[in-house]
Amino acid sequence: MTTGGKLVDPVTQEIIEGKLMATVDEMGIVMARTSMSPVIYEVLDFACGLLTADGELVAQMNGITLFTGTFGVQVKALIEKFTGNLADGDILLSNDPYAGGTHACDFAIVKPLFVNGEILAYAINVAHYLDVGGSVPGSLAPDATSVFQEGLRLPGVKIVRADVFSDEILHIVSENVRLPEIALGDLNAQVATVRVAGRRMAELAARYGASVVQAAFANLLNASETRSRTAIAALPDGRYEATDIIDGDGVSQEPIHVKVAVTIAGDSITIDFTGCPPAVAGPINCARGALQSAVRTIVKAMVGPQDPSNEGWFRPLTVIAPPGTIFTAQKPSPTGWYYEGSVHASELVWKALAPLMPSRFSAGSYSSLCVVYISGRDRSGQPFIHIEPQHGGWGASEHRDGAGALIALTDGDTYNYSVEVIEARFPLRVKRYGFNVEGGAGAGRRRGGFGIVREYEILGTDASAYGSFGRTATQPWGMDGGGQGTVNALQIAPCTGRSCSHLWPRCSYRTQQGRCVARHHRRRRRVGRRRRARATAYRARPAQRLSD
Amino acid sequence: MIRLATDVGGTFTDLVGYDERSGELFTAKSLTTVKNQSRGVLNAIALAEEKCGLRTRDVTFFAHGGTTVINAITERKGVRTALVTTAGFRDVLEIGRGNRPDLYNLQFHSPEPFVPRELRFEVRERLDASGNVVLPLELDDLRPIIVRCIEEKIEAIAVLFLHSYANPEHEILCAGILADALPEVTVCASHTVSRQWREYERTNTAVLNAYVQPIIQYYFERLEEALMKRGLTCPYYAMQSNGGISTFDQAVSSPLTLVESGPAGGVAGAARIGEALGESEVLSLDVGGTTAKCSLIHDGRPTLNVDYKLEHTRIRPGHPVQVPVVDIVEIGSGGGSIARLDDRGALRVGPESAGSTPGPACYGHGGKKPTLSDAILTVGIFDPATFAGGSMHLDKQKAADAIATVATPLGMSIEDAAIAIIDIAHASMINALKLVTVQRGHDPRDAVFVVSGGAGPALATRLGRDLSVKATVIPPHPGIFSAWGMLAAELRADFRGTWFSALTAAALGELCSRFDGLEAEAIAYFAKGHDADIRFTYQVEARYRGQEHGVFAQFDRNDDVESFAERFHAAHERAYSFRLAGASIEITTLHLEAVLNGPVITLPSLPTTGNSIVAAMTGRRDVYFGAALGWVSCPVYQRGLLGAGQMIDGPMIVEETTATTLVLDGQVLEVTDTGILIIRENSGEAE
Repeated sequence: MTTGGKLVDPVTQEIIEGKLMATVDEMGIVMARTSMSPVIYEVLDFACGLLTADGELVAQMNGITLFTGTFGVQVKALIEKFTGNLADGDILLSNDPYAGGTHACDFAIVKPLFVNGEILAYAINVAHYLDVGGSVPGSLAPDATSVFQEGLRLPGVKIVRADVFSDEILHIVSENVRLPEIALGDLNAQVATVRVAGRRMAELAARYGASVVQAAFANLLNASETRSRTAIAALPDGRYEATDIIDGDGVSQEPIHVKVAVTIAGDSITIDFTGCPPAVAGPINCARGALQSAVRTIVKAMVGPQDPSNEGWFRPLTVIAPPGTIFTAQKPSPTGWYYEGSVHASELVWKALAPLMPSRFSAGSYSSLCVVYISGRDRSGQPFIHIEPQHGGWGASEHRDGAGALIALTDGDTYNYSVEVIEARFPLRVKRYGFNVEGGAGAGRRRGGFGIVREYEILGTDASAYGSFGRTATQPWGMDGGGQGTVNALQIAPCTGRSCSHLWPRCSYRTQQGRCVARHHRRRRRVGRRRRARATAYRARPAQRLSD
Repeated sequence: MIRLATDVGGTFTDLVGYDERSGELFTAKSLTTVKNQSRGVLNAIALAEEKCGLRTRDVTFFAHGGTTVINAITERKGVRTALVTTAGFRDVLEIGRGNRPDLYNLQFHSPEPFVPRELRFEVRERLDASGNVVLPLELDDLRPIIVRCIEEKIEAIAVLFLHSYANPEHEILCAGILADALPEVTVCASHTVSRQWREYERTNTAVLNAYVQPIIQYYFERLEEALMKRGLTCPYYAMQSNGGISTFDQAVSSPLTLVESGPAGGVAGAARIGEALGESEVLSLDVGGTTAKCSLIHDGRPTLNVDYKLEHTRIRPGHPVQVPVVDIVEIGSGGGSIARLDDRGALRVGPESAGSTPGPACYGHGGKKPTLSDAILTVGIFDPATFAGGSMHLDKQKAADAIATVATPLGMSIEDAAIAIIDIAHASMINALKLVTVQRGHDPRDAVFVVSGGAGPALATRLGRDLSVKATVIPPHPGIFSAWGMLAAELRADFRGTWFSALTAAALGELCSRFDGLEAEAIAYFAKGHDADIRFTYQVEARYRGQEHGVFAQFDRNDDVESFAERFHAAHERAYSFRLAGASIEITTLHLEAVLNGPVITLPSLPTTGNSIVAAMTGRRDVYFGAALGWVSCPVYQRGLLGAGQMIDGPMIVEETTATTLVLDGQVLEVTDTGILIIRENSGEAE
């Protein structure tokens, strides 16, 4: 294996690759175990990675899929901005959605790793902050119409110079967020992880020399590219299309029609979103970095699901999307709930490609991360914000029923919240947590997986809740003649009464003590071979449950 | 005065007996008898009596370890089990945590639960997080459940109610009624096996405990009966996953504590070796046939895993259980690990293994694929004639032929390909060893490195050099070290409970009285009266306010807020590289380690004026050290002939029945007065 005239023997190559994975794993462990935000330590809404001096991803921890494509775009934007202006001991901070980021809540910490005065690599850690200011606690107003309602933005600043934190920036952060102690705790944890990466890469360079390490990066990327091209070349050439509907944007409930055309030609794949509508008023838009993640998630699922991710896998991929659309939003379009939009970009590609590779794809899933925010004051009067994504049903596949109660595509190694932990921490009581089995087991040779029902009672005073649920009107799609799944729902009711009301699915709600928020995910159901499938549409019934 | 241990493995049942007065060693190996494992144990004892004159009437200590529990779980051979739980939550067991660690797999499924939905029953009752009763237990709900359990021929029932870690009263009441109504059925209330929060993990713990309990009970009863008949009338002990032993009765009531019984034996042995050398920091590595396992002993005590999961891999969530298990990092690099080229032409070693059949190519049992053992033989570290005490002839040609299958495509010579295989196994062992040390804030330079397992000592000194350990240590009988470790284990129990409080002076007072309560439980557990000589270690898990995960720090009964806070800050900094000096601290969990002091295994002294070094040398052998150094002639010594205090410069080889140790150029071997081999770098002196 040679690159740039430098030979790396296969044994050294294997050893260096092992070290890269060990390093990103170590970064992830430090982050998950020291963070102060449940959305990080429980939901694992963060990721760590290593990139080449040119900003190409070489290793990423196993966490969630939302960051599969953002790191490269983000680090390249910072490289451009800081050319000639980086020194050993500097650490950068950026949370700009329009420069490869996602939403303002995601703080990216990037450290150039110097060896002998040259940048060998970059380490990155992106993590979701509990609150970055803006119009509502948690910063994600589901009806925001501008990025300026979504909190503080710091689009590329030096948070650390010569290994010393910038007091000015720490001060700006702590004065502009609602829970500064938690934000600064998480910032410390993030910085600790990129410093760990710096030490590990320095060890590697000391052992093998920087040029060998760089050559090993290049070999790794080339080898992944080759495997990716081989997998794509095995698929039939052609143009594959899919359409879908996004159920409202938080400002309006109007259906939003989106579409994709995927072209496979030889060993390359082109994914074209031309024809998708312009950015919408509400915050479910995503920008180009998040679109890259969305598309790459499905490409990776197709070409090499179990192999470690890096930029090489995606070299055969071209993404075409005109600027300013719902998937390529520009300033000042709001992007707070970007994953509610970007998941549909993923599902479009998934739906278009699924028939080509039934051994790796399943039918549509509950899709939406169905995040609910509940905030207020706890028994001691302290403010709290509880953020919780909900698990749901996944689609059936060729040989098996769909999986029940799994986290949505946009996440990954993401845990549900322990009921005992929630109740010890927040003034909430969970009344019920179980599979949603109402309405039968589903139509088709293989049924879809079961969704869940989770009911909360709010015990504190003056609480508010908001959320943004997708797939609340348009059912998850079936495959190969199988039936469709059922939709997601969020309901709310007074504890005293029996009546409950369906909420507008992307909304805020203010509650008083004794009222109850309930969430209800319907089971998604699906797939079957046409030959044996009988029923198709699911008989959606209005949910009636609420707390007893 | 013989200590006897048997370790039932998947293929073989190992026996080690050790006469503490004479140092005489008895070993035997019999085939594991799958249906009734006690037969294999008795066969091994009979074999040891015939072959090496083991006298069962002299046995004063019998320890038993094995894979019975873990096999029953992984092979899904437990009993028909039901779950009784809080109304509204019966699916918690099946939902698990809903995570998808295999994140690009669009056909991912969570692991199947051990109790199917139709056998998960709900009862109306509710506690809050402080343990207050919100809804009293609805006894009427139990009647139909009892009927169903009879109809369904249920053999074990797990009971879990939310927040029972804070108040077990509903579980106690419910379990009592079920046990009275169903006298033949095993009932396991979750608080009896775990008093930690997180309902899924605790449910799974209670369910798995119930699932294997009847099997283990039957197994130990039969074994005990058989041992009595055999004339073994000493106390019987079971090796637990926490690195200690328990009585058979204790093991039967909490069988899940045996889940990692075998590997824990090796860790107990490493701790004993550290103690004998006066070293409190020990890094242990055991290289078996399919895997290598490493673990850290800190402050003289095995480290426990706070997050143990059965069947867990990078892409599988596994089954978490809340029982104390020694923190072992296991990687797929063992003597039988197969080397291959992957689809892009890169050389990989493991995790596939040639196992014991066919075994490495050099065993000549039909294995054609190159393994780590073939590579070690090819470079000359193993002697084909004296391997395993000469009982098994190794075939160098077969090893070379197998290695050629990777050497040829790589364009390498056979011996360079062998070195490459060793290099890759070496690198993955280094990553695992760093995971338990550097990455958890421990410096390997403070530790002695105890290496065991058949292939371990052949690789040990280079690992030790790369990690800059204080010294590399080859214990006695490295090839059967797990079983030896069981002989070295002490009676131990762990008591852990979730308790939430800000760190205040008042909380410290409460902490002491809670530890008093746990101590009383420990005293009752050992049943040796109030004067029992028990060593207590107090640990408290704490965290910065806002964090979720805590760090265990040692707690001293004389601690004030400042002194405990400082120990917590230091533990946090060691584990995660930073501290938050101004942040508030919260207590989350208490952990009491209780070890019953008793006689421990002694290491007999070697004669000091024994043979000369020359007398211990049995010949010379060429060893290949890679392209740069080439083949180097190394003297070969017989371990049994080395005398106390002798020092020999490397490069050299030490052979014994169960292992071969390679000492590198620039290192020096020292034999302690108890026969332990210590290898250090020959520092400072001209080479």
